[in-house]
Amino acid sequence: MINFILKRLWHSGILAITMSLIVFFGMYVVGDPVEMLSDDEFTEQDKIDLAIELGLDKPLYEQYFTFTGDMLQGDFGTSFVYNRPVLDLIIERLPATLEISLLAMVIGLSIGIPLGIFSGIKNNSRASKIISFFTTVGYSTPNFWQAIILIMVFAVFLQWLPASGRGLTNSMFGVEWSLLSIDGLRHMALPAVNLAIYKICMQQRLAKSGTQEILYQEYMTYARAKGISRYRIIRRHLLRNILIPIVTITGLEVGGLIAFSTVTESIFSWPGIGKLLLDSIHMIDRPVVVAYLILITLMFVFINFVVDVMYAILDPRIRHQK
Amino acid sequence: MNNIPLLKINNLTVTYPLNSEGSDVLKALDNISLNVNSGQIIGIVGESGAGKSTIGKAILGLLDPPAKIVSGEITLTDTAMIGLSESQYESFRGNQIGYIYQNPMTALNPVLKIGEQVIEAILANTAMTGKEAYNYAIQLLERADVSFAKDRLQKYPHQLSGGLCQRIVFAIAIAAKPKLIIADEPTTALDVTVQSSVLQTLIKLSQEEDIAIILITHDIGVVSETCDYVYVLRNGKHIEQGETVQVLEKPTQEYTRSLMASVPLIEKRLHRFALPNEDKMEGMTSHLGYLEEERKENLYLNKTILKVTNISKIFYTSSTLFKRKEAFKAVKNVSFSVNRGETVGIVGESGSGKSTIGRMILGLEDITEGSIIYNGRDLKSITSPEDRLAHCLSIQCIFQDPYSSLNPRMTAGENITYGLKVHKLIDSKNAKSLAQDLMTLVGLQRHDADKLPHAFSGGERQRIGIARALGYRPDFIFCDEPTSALDVSVQANLLNLLKDLQEQFSLTLLFVSHDLAVIRQMCDQVIVMKDGEALENGSNDSIFEHPKHLYTKSLLKAMPKFKGIAKQVGFNDSK
Repeated sequence: MINFILKRLWHSGILAITMSLIVFFGMYVVGDPVEMLSDDEFTEQDKIDLAIELGLDKPLYEQYFTFTGDMLQGDFGTSFVYNRPVLDLIIERLPATLEISLLAMVIGLSIGIPLGIFSGIKNNSRASKIISFFTTVGYSTPNFWQAIILIMVFAVFLQWLPASGRGLTNSMFGVEWSLLSIDGLRHMALPAVNLAIYKICMQQRLAKSGTQEILYQEYMTYARAKGISRYRIIRRHLLRNILIPIVTITGLEVGGLIAFSTVTESIFSWPGIGKLLLDSIHMIDRPVVVAYLILITLMFVFINFVVDVMYAILDPRIRHQK
Repeated sequence: MNNIPLLKINNLTVTYPLNSEGSDVLKALDNISLNVNSGQIIGIVGESGAGKSTIGKAILGLLDPPAKIVSGEITLTDTAMIGLSESQYESFRGNQIGYIYQNPMTALNPVLKIGEQVIEAILANTAMTGKEAYNYAIQLLERADVSFAKDRLQKYPHQLSGGLCQRIVFAIAIAAKPKLIIADEPTTALDVTVQSSVLQTLIKLSQEEDIAIILITHDIGVVSETCDYVYVLRNGKHIEQGETVQVLEKPTQEYTRSLMASVPLIEKRLHRFALPNEDKMEGMTSHLGYLEEERKENLYLNKTILKVTNISKIFYTSSTLFKRKEAFKAVKNVSFSVNRGETVGIVGESGSGKSTIGRMILGLEDITEGSIIYNGRDLKSITSPEDRLAHCLSIQCIFQDPYSSLNPRMTAGENITYGLKVHKLIDSKNAKSLAQDLMTLVGLQRHDADKLPHAFSGGERQRIGIARALGYRPDFIFCDEPTSALDVSVQANLLNLLKDLQEQFSLTLLFVSHDLAVIRQMCDQVIVMKDGEALENGSNDSIFEHPKHLYTKSLLKAMPKFKGIAKQVGFNDSK
């Protein structure tokens, strides 16, 4: 077990270094931050002063080592644009993204899995075919287009829900959450649904194929032969088995939601880290982008670890492997 | 035993559609009638495809579409059992009729604890709840002869042996004291050593509760030991029925007779299986030029073709998240020798290391310790590609599973000659005619060489496997459970074929099997293995008639006894 964790740490270290190299030098190629930050009134001398202030006058490899050296000591650097510590910026924005991602995932799982099981069991019914048709459409139309349709229907025509912003937030653990107020929840609804559509479709397909595989296992027929009720068979015998592949994908999906909800956050002006990343790339705010992507890499490593542990919890055969 | 009618099946017909319109159907059951009285043990015998399992599933309403009950009645005491809703069936399943599956390892859900799977059946079928149900579960397991019952409830199926799992399935089956248990091949998937004791447990439980049993099996020995009354089925049709002794010893129908003749006996060794309708192999010698050339020369050079001295094999498991790397000794210090033209049998349970020995001889596994000398040459000295090829040509293998050992994308003929072509032993022009020759040699049609493997039955595929091995003109064939996946009559035919081929080409066979009766019929010398060790080694007669080791004795004792049909001797004499 300890061996395994050490191995995972070693892998994540290599990943983080590779990631920082790619992003650091990649950002250098994209453009010059000094040009982005200075306006028309800046003189050449002002620009040089700015470059010295930001440490951009030094050779690139030296900048890289200074940056990573600081990072190892917990200092993720200072944003060129906001002139504030990067870590503060990220932590400030993170709760907004976390709450929207988790809400989307909950909606995705709680609608997608039951739909999938239903269409797996009633494979040839009309209802199952209709469900599969819609999930295929939902899966293949672009996310931003779905967002625009949602805004048009629910915010413009029906005027039921607000189309942008975070609404009223309440404080818990010293952090502001929209989840805690009705107004906040109303603001969350559209972006969360927008993110969830994809997840519903994916979970439906996963659960459906899983169900069809498990349904014809002998233990399913045997459970019926024991006189177990249909509801219990689905809840215990079926669900437990189809969760194994679902957990893998869900783990990666949660990571994806937190890291790359950029499009949805932009459309609904949701002040999460996705939007922060997008703005920072535009402004060539290198410390923010690099730190962000390294943190995301580590988050994925962590999620994968959790998935492995979940696996062992769900499938005793992995736990007791000889 | 009282004779109150319990279950009555009248003219039951079940069909499967063969095409999408449903105009062409397969009759899985064709007009079958059957009666079970309370407390009675009924046997349903037949080979695969006979429709035995379909009867069991039909009674419980477990037949899934596209299977369809076309006509007939099933009555349990006074209730009609056809066309009920799923929830109506639920009240019968487990409660009035228990069900036992062939393979307990696939019947129990791998991700749920044994306890949950036993208790859910108790909760569903009795009025018990909570602690009471838990205690009853322990009590049930104890009655089904499961040791450490309380601990077992906390385990998962894969942590227990197949025999234990099957006893747990028995416990579940009797939980609600049903009137009838349908046992579908309850011991087939288990190791030979535990089969009889597991079956005895089932019989004991049913007698205690006065439960009737429908025992579905292909094993005539099991039927002869346990059943009161037998039905013989073939391809969904009723062939014969009657008192067990009557049907098994004096069958009236031709099919039943040939079925009984196919059963390998353990009491005495026959030269061949006396099959009434066996096709004679004729007009084949003309094709054998290729197979017989070359092989004459070095025959009888030395008497001992294979000498195995103190070999061991250690496997290492890879380390995982929860376990360190572990060493596992599959073969421990085994020695034996094989003489030219002999058949040597290795018998043992699964995991006894018998296949591993064969794989080492073939050169498919490295030898951890000890030496194997084949044809005067140590296997470890074989390193150059030429030597390796010569070794492969001389030793061939027939695999256990005829379904996975043929390449499904190649025709039968290509499967047979592919290796020969790769080694440039034959050009493509001659390959086809050789394949056809070999096909006839193993009792198949010449033109079948162009068919793909899926067009053949299991027995026919195994014949193709034999033809493939013969194509290399081997001296030695390693047969790894060649008939364990086959029906008993197919098995008898195939074993006869092997015997004939062995005689014709003076082959040496190393025959691995878990089936004592098959070993008894096939081998000159027998090695008994358990947990990687060779416990006993001797001639066929000495092992089977005067076993020395305790384990061998227990194996022989555990075999269900079937003495064969009365006219057996007559068949034999006529050969």
